[in-house]
Amino acid sequence: MIKSGKIWKFTGVGLIVYVILAGMLVPLKTGIESVEPSFGNAGEVLEIEVTGYNSHFKEAGNAVRAWLKWENGKALASKSIIIKDDRKLTLSFSIPGNLPEDKEVQTVSLLIDNPIDGTSVLPSAIFLRATKGNVQSENDKWVTPGNFSKVTGITFPFRNILGETIRNTYFHVPLWFGMMFLFLFAVINSIKYLRNGTPEFDLKAEAFTHTGIFYGIMGLVTGALWAKNTWGAYWSWDIKQNMTVVALLIYAAYFILRASFEDPEKRGRVCAAYSIFAFSTLIPLLYVIPRLTDSLHPGSGGNPAFGSQDLDNTMRMVFYPAVIGWTLFGFWISSLQFRYLRLQKIQEDLD
Amino acid sequence: MIMLRYALFMFISIFCTFSLSAANADFMRSIGKIYVVVGVMLLLFLGIVFYLIQIDRRLTNFENQIKSDE
Repeated sequence: MIKSGKIWKFTGVGLIVYVILAGMLVPLKTGIESVEPSFGNAGEVLEIEVTGYNSHFKEAGNAVRAWLKWENGKALASKSIIIKDDRKLTLSFSIPGNLPEDKEVQTVSLLIDNPIDGTSVLPSAIFLRATKGNVQSENDKWVTPGNFSKVTGITFPFRNILGETIRNTYFHVPLWFGMMFLFLFAVINSIKYLRNGTPEFDLKAEAFTHTGIFYGIMGLVTGALWAKNTWGAYWSWDIKQNMTVVALLIYAAYFILRASFEDPEKRGRVCAAYSIFAFSTLIPLLYVIPRLTDSLHPGSGGNPAFGSQDLDNTMRMVFYPAVIGWTLFGFWISSLQFRYLRLQKIQEDLD
Repeated sequence: MIMLRYALFMFISIFCTFSLSAANADFMRSIGKIYVVVGVMLLLFLGIVFYLIQIDRRLTNFENQIKSDE
């Protein structure tokens, strides 16, 4: 199933060029990078240093508004805002004695709004300890934040820990999609070989497996680099990381199996059967087991992996072309590998 | 061709170090510099693509040669 013709190769390359340009050059939405300190007590004045990302506080000046917002919708407006520069603010909040929730430690989000940047949210920004003593109720302090500024322009979402690395989504994740397609075509060609016995299918299966493993290794390496800068370590013994290594080792054994046979027919048949087995392990290893337990990866504890929470509409504009582009690119590499193997076989047959 | 690409890569890296010494505290965050990164990525990727095109052409020639020999 390797199509002839050049259009699909150029399409793949063109899509990847688009992904590199769009994925790297679209700016991130304004966000809140850090809040210091992140603890406070009820009944006290809380003063926090806020660092924004891609923010323009100085430019916005008096139009900056800030709130601490509870999950039940109640919010506190800031008492004073001191703007240090475009990215640094000192906010002070007068926390009332009575907090809206019934818990001892309550989590609040920080909202900052200004007409230049729009609204930024840092979820679970501050932990407030409720007091147990006798305090006057100050119900007039509660506000509902509203009238949010809208800004135009295409931006990628800002996530506190990820920052700019969110752009990795266009490179790391499509490698895995590509790997699945490549292994899928490997198993299709293996099945075809078992039914027909034409050596071409066996070579195609080998070529697809070769490129699939390459994509898998690149996915692991890019993932490790990304993890170092977000999760803190190159390897976290995360369930998905572990299962991916297991899957790749199973596929690596495919090549050891190939090398251990002399007779090409026998080799082809046994390896084709092994390829079917290897592909059938991919589904439980990569898609079932990681979703069952806790994982650092998106999609764990029963959630669908990489679902609507992980992608934004602006990201989808780059992500879907990225998947198609990298997959087509992988198919091109496989086709080159296959043609090389076929020529090698012709030469062997001549000898 | 390979020498030219290598020379270009070295030139860009040296250019980067000179820009660093301008003491820009927000170096990694100044969006302007991202063009350098994008340029390097494109350069790297297109370099690999040209290499693959070269392999593709060599294979095609070899296959045509075998076909014409038959």
